[in-house]
Amino acid sequence: MEAWIAARGGGPLPRQGSSHGPQRLVQFMQKLEAAAATVGRVSSLSELPKAVAHELRRRNLPAEVRMGADPTFSGLDWGTLDATRGVGRLVEPATLSRAEFGLAETGTLALASGPDNPVTLTFLGETHFVMLRASDVCGGFEDFWAAWRERGLDPRTLNLVTGPSRSADIGQVLQLGAHGPVALHVFILTE
Amino acid sequence: MSLHEATTPAFKANAKAALGNANLQSALRGSRGNFVLKRAKAREALPEFDGLRDRGRDLKDHVLANLDLYLERYEAAVTASGGVVHWAETAEDARRIVLEICRKAGAKAVNKGKTMISEECGINDMLAANGITPVETDLGEYIIQLRGEIPSHIIAPAVHVTVGEVEAAFRKAHTHLPADRNLSELDLLQKEARGILRSKYFEAEVGITGANVLIAETGQSVIVTNEGNGDLSQSLPKVHIVMASLEKLVPTPEDASTVLRLLARSATGQEMSVYTTFSRGPRRPEDPDGPEEYHVVLLDNGRSNMLGTDFQDMLRCIRCGACMNHCPVYQAVGGHAYGWVYPGPMGAVLTPSLIGVEKGGQLPNASTFCGRCEAVCPMHIPLPKMMRNWREREFEKKLTPSTVRAGLGVWGWFAQRPALYRLAARLGNGVLRGIGGRRGRIASLPFAAGWTGQRDLPAPTGRTFMDQWKARR
Repeated sequence: MEAWIAARGGGPLPRQGSSHGPQRLVQFMQKLEAAAATVGRVSSLSELPKAVAHELRRRNLPAEVRMGADPTFSGLDWGTLDATRGVGRLVEPATLSRAEFGLAETGTLALASGPDNPVTLTFLGETHFVMLRASDVCGGFEDFWAAWRERGLDPRTLNLVTGPSRSADIGQVLQLGAHGPVALHVFILTE
Repeated sequence: MSLHEATTPAFKANAKAALGNANLQSALRGSRGNFVLKRAKAREALPEFDGLRDRGRDLKDHVLANLDLYLERYEAAVTASGGVVHWAETAEDARRIVLEICRKAGAKAVNKGKTMISEECGINDMLAANGITPVETDLGEYIIQLRGEIPSHIIAPAVHVTVGEVEAAFRKAHTHLPADRNLSELDLLQKEARGILRSKYFEAEVGITGANVLIAETGQSVIVTNEGNGDLSQSLPKVHIVMASLEKLVPTPEDASTVLRLLARSATGQEMSVYTTFSRGPRRPEDPDGPEEYHVVLLDNGRSNMLGTDFQDMLRCIRCGACMNHCPVYQAVGGHAYGWVYPGPMGAVLTPSLIGVEKGGQLPNASTFCGRCEAVCPMHIPLPKMMRNWREREFEKKLTPSTVRAGLGVWGWFAQRPALYRLAARLGNGVLRGIGGRRGRIASLPFAAGWTGQRDLPAPTGRTFMDQWKARR
């Protein structure tokens, strides 16, 4: 048992989980869209509030967004946007979280729960916005687990999210927006 | 449904009723082929799929061979994270443990993510009998709860329900909504359920989920959903209970990824399900949300007795449902005919192991032995071989019906006398050819109505196999 655990072995490494260089980000964005998420690039952190406001307007949503205590967001000037802090509530038109990592293998976001990014924001927002640094995009599960350990994270939940929520339980036809978000939009920070 | 209500011994009658049920047949027609096509595409897109299957088999075999060590390691890791592992040897134990936790939490309502272990233990009936309201939050589970049914498929629990039946169930249950509201579109139905369940998430004191994987090294439980209901069920109440059976253990997060790479592709043809959540312990002191208590009810219920037997390989099962999606018998009769929690080929093997061959022995007979279940199983479980093992045990225990035993006796008598056997085969061959005539097909035959009732029997076209063999040597 100890030897097996220490070996950290896996099966064959899928090619789609071993992208690198600029191709990795391209594949990540393609896989996100294949999972019915939308994605945009933001070239500096200070531009994030403008990008969020723009997406809210474009979706005809109220100019408000709920987020946690993540220091990445707290230093920003949110302007006229009503940027409230705290956990998810019963009615939550839009929420914002920061993902720790992305997996280009499947277009998956890895979020760590905690005061910075309360887990309820990931599931209660009708529209869920997620910010992710381009440098945090991994190839696949193998380098993701290594990077996760390296960062020393130990949250109550690690949430791997691949697109907005969905169900095919009625009539075996897939519908977006089951119990979680109806829409998922990812801002990739390329600075 | 609880253990005691299993209708597995009535499989033949159940199957006959299912074949004659027009609504069920229409629902099954709607889903048939869907899962098969999606899985085939996903498998095609991943050249490493078969290598991953081998790895999946090996890692589960390794855990099963060292199960005691892994169970201890897992419990230690959960305890270190502030959670509690409860050992449930039987379904009865699991019910008692869950009730105790709910009572301590002062629970009036319990939200449930999808968990087949809870079905196996009859948790809903137990909660209701004790004045606690169980609320199924998976959309499919919610629908069948309204209809007073059990799941007919392990990942698509309401696959047997038509859209019209869903609308009828919603109109009957949601009486506080305007009676003339429009529910003519699928998304309107989904939105209505979403709205109703959204407020229920905030009301429950306890949330129960299953687990697709338990990780021994880290003490994490992993759930996989597309709807997000499992996460709302575990994040909003004060107490989170995970119900899982012991064979869900894997050693490391890397091993969990191997299972994940196989699971969604085999189940729904997705590369990844939408939400894969790794949970470890209760909320941290600094956390603003998440449950204050984290309990894992680890169920055995007969599984450890399968270790070291002909049926150990069944414990590799990751509950993807591919075997039933590809099974001609399941596709014809649906899941309820199987009469207990687990339908299809995996159910035909697991059910007799868990509730005994006396009750579940009918199920392994519900197979054409076409072998597709084994061919698509991501864990290489030899399902047909194990069904044959059950048939043998059923025969040995003299549980097989007397007509079948008599038939096998006659066949056995001939089979031990090769010359007579060949003569009889030659005679039968000629007679059938005669009946088939120029059409070459037989529309009805004495003692074969079970076959000819639905389709023609092809008549033999040439000489018997042995005659042809002799002529060509």
